[in-house]
Amino acid sequence: MVDAARQPRVDVRAFTEVEKVEGFVGNFKVTLREKAKYVIADRCNGCGDCARACPIEVPNYFEMNIAPRKAAYVPMSQSVPLIYSIDLENCIHCYKCVEACGALEAIDFSQEDKIVEEDIGAIIVATGFGHFDPSVMVEYGYGRFPNVITSMEMERLNNSAGPTAGNLIRPSDNQNPQKLAFINCVGSRDKRYNPSCSNFCCMYSIKNAVLLKQMNPDVDITIYYMDIRTPSKGYEEFYDRAREMGIHFSQGRPSLITEDPQSHNLFVHAEDVGLGQNTIKEYDMVMLNQAAIPQPDQDHMSSVLNVAQSPGGWFMEYHPKLRPMDSPTDGIFFAGACQGPKDIPSSVAQGSAAAARASRILHSEQWEIEPTVAVVWPERCSATTRGQACGICAKACPYGAISITSPEFPAEVITAKCHGCGACVAECPEDAITQLHYTDAQVLAQMRALLADKPEEKILAFRCHWCSYGGADLAGTSHFEYTANERGLRVMCSARMDTDFIYEAYRLGAGAVLYSGCHPQDCHYITGQLIGAKRAERLQKMFHRMEMTDGRFRVEWISAAEGDKYARVLNEMQIVLDNMPQDALKAEIEKLKPEMSKRLKKFPNVPGVQEAMDYSDTLAQAITDQKETA
Amino acid sequence: MSDLINGPNDEELRVGVYICHCGSNIGGVIDPKEVVEFAEGLPDVVRATDTLYACADSGQRLIKEDIKKYNLNRVVVSACSVRMHEPTFRAAVSEAGLNPFLMEMANIREQCTWAHGHDREGALEKAKDLTAAAVAKTRFMTELDMIEVPVTQKAMVIGGGVAGISASLDLAEQGIETILVEKEPTIGGVMAQLNKTFPTMDCSI
Repeated sequence: MVDAARQPRVDVRAFTEVEKVEGFVGNFKVTLREKAKYVIADRCNGCGDCARACPIEVPNYFEMNIAPRKAAYVPMSQSVPLIYSIDLENCIHCYKCVEACGALEAIDFSQEDKIVEEDIGAIIVATGFGHFDPSVMVEYGYGRFPNVITSMEMERLNNSAGPTAGNLIRPSDNQNPQKLAFINCVGSRDKRYNPSCSNFCCMYSIKNAVLLKQMNPDVDITIYYMDIRTPSKGYEEFYDRAREMGIHFSQGRPSLITEDPQSHNLFVHAEDVGLGQNTIKEYDMVMLNQAAIPQPDQDHMSSVLNVAQSPGGWFMEYHPKLRPMDSPTDGIFFAGACQGPKDIPSSVAQGSAAAARASRILHSEQWEIEPTVAVVWPERCSATTRGQACGICAKACPYGAISITSPEFPAEVITAKCHGCGACVAECPEDAITQLHYTDAQVLAQMRALLADKPEEKILAFRCHWCSYGGADLAGTSHFEYTANERGLRVMCSARMDTDFIYEAYRLGAGAVLYSGCHPQDCHYITGQLIGAKRAERLQKMFHRMEMTDGRFRVEWISAAEGDKYARVLNEMQIVLDNMPQDALKAEIEKLKPEMSKRLKKFPNVPGVQEAMDYSDTLAQAITDQKETA
Repeated sequence: MSDLINGPNDEELRVGVYICHCGSNIGGVIDPKEVVEFAEGLPDVVRATDTLYACADSGQRLIKEDIKKYNLNRVVVSACSVRMHEPTFRAAVSEAGLNPFLMEMANIREQCTWAHGHDREGALEKAKDLTAAAVAKTRFMTELDMIEVPVTQKAMVIGGGVAGISASLDLAEQGIETILVEKEPTIGGVMAQLNKTFPTMDCSI
């Protein structure tokens, strides 16, 4: 901690929140809210006179709210930076702190939150984890029985810098407990709350037990566990040491804790798997090893940073094995428990790893980004054809990358600002914009190939690159089997999924079409998904009006973590097709074709599309010929 | 710019198609040679072959040598996910003098053989179609250059716990100006609240 404060190139901004992140790799603009401390940082010398003078006491978060702090405070004596703050919510404006501060004149009640913008090349997100609140598990009595405490409360009570100077006492009578129980997996590996393992709690409870035993060898400690997990270097040896010290280990998750209301002693009811019998044992004090869960504001940070979350709420990495520190957004990296529960050695290692990943960018003068940007055909823009730019593209762009200087001039893409989602391309009513590497002609040619042979049996699946394509990958990696009639097609964002593509799919006689992308909060392109979703909704209504069988056009938002969902959706779509009598399906397909053709009347005018259609006829013929020969 | 987007261009297309076995990951479910035979009959395909591991040095070398030998101007690699090896094959074709955006991948592993192990025939048909779609796309692909953007050589670390502090110090020690943002009044995070840490029992701050 102090190293960070001492290192001249680290600028510690405590009491500061990230409000907004804009821009792209190498060129982020981050808006910070530096919260008012009502103390002038340069003048405060950390003497603490203000806190001593302050008459107000409120619970201190740093002490897990089991000890007070003043309204003029630092959370702990070793705070970095050592600058006091006035907690205005609890301050009674007696100004005793001002008096105590005296000539330093460090206290300034007129301060306001400061909004600052920073230009940043790369971002490392290390927002950590939160603690599961065990009071929801009524069977353990936390909050009702004073001597049932959480492991974090135990940390503070057992800490020489804590409120009892390291003297562990029972909250009910301030006596030192002689017989203690630790319960592991409280809220973790529990399908009611968090199915996953919290990673470090086994070692953590052993550590606390060893510490207590070192201080007082006579204390009797039992750790209730489901499995003991000690896979890292030196961990199993540590566990051995704990057993040699006489710490008891009892396998089986306790079902109930009851209390003797007189002594406030506790009875832990559990099945001892080793003995094969139910046990009820009495303890002076019980510690609950609460699960590590995502931060309470993780959802909010996820949308500020535009990074997706895995099931369970943790930030999701680009690839769990190959790019574990990278977020899906170039230039944003993860370190530590924000990406999943981690112990200290792993968090330190990840911090270094993320720094190494980020420094590849930060040591470069320039960084390469994909040229898959939007480009305008000025001659097709309504500014040219009708003398009036409609501006729909500019409205659709999530990045303000389209400039229309005046209605009579065609729209222009500011390439440096374009992120390549393709929203403007699909939204443009004049088909006057295209996206490099994802042109209409390219997508059309792919569609024709995919639907060349027995289109009525096929499910054409449009997926966005970042999420649903990743979900399809995960379905495969996890071997979640789904129908082989799926034919996947990838564009960068659901915003690029042009209505013309969907019309063309049905004109070609597709059995079913899936329109899929990310969940709204996960969109890689801020609001791209919203644009895609709105369009999908219109299409859904239209197909409904045309009396298309439900399920032949399906819209689903599937994250890169939802391989199971991708497989399920495809299998459900297959069932829709299987349940339709062949004649009925064929009749419905044929009925739709003329309407689709009508809607596609302007499509061949898009540059490249007529050529793609001509070429595709040859290709489709070749595909069917080849398959027949085989 | 419009010549980039108005495709198709008039040049004669010479597409090379590579069907990867990925050991038994693909080859254990479908016979890549059948996809090769299929691809040979597609328009513009002048070379189609299978390879045990397209991403291995030998596989990449095969593609690079073929680009020269057959004068290929488009390459299709039917193998794994673009999220896995698109950069690998872009680099490979680029080393052989072909613009990296003239290479297209078909995902016949994650999105085919791994997902349809129960339906080998269906998987084979799908692998053919996905390969054909990639060949179709190459016809309308154009040379593109990566866009170079400037880099602000300054980092931000969000969160002042042990991971954030570790990242900040490593960046700073490499000479990079780093802003360490912490929402609480002190850095340290959960680590600072702990009494000694396992397995070495040293203090946490």
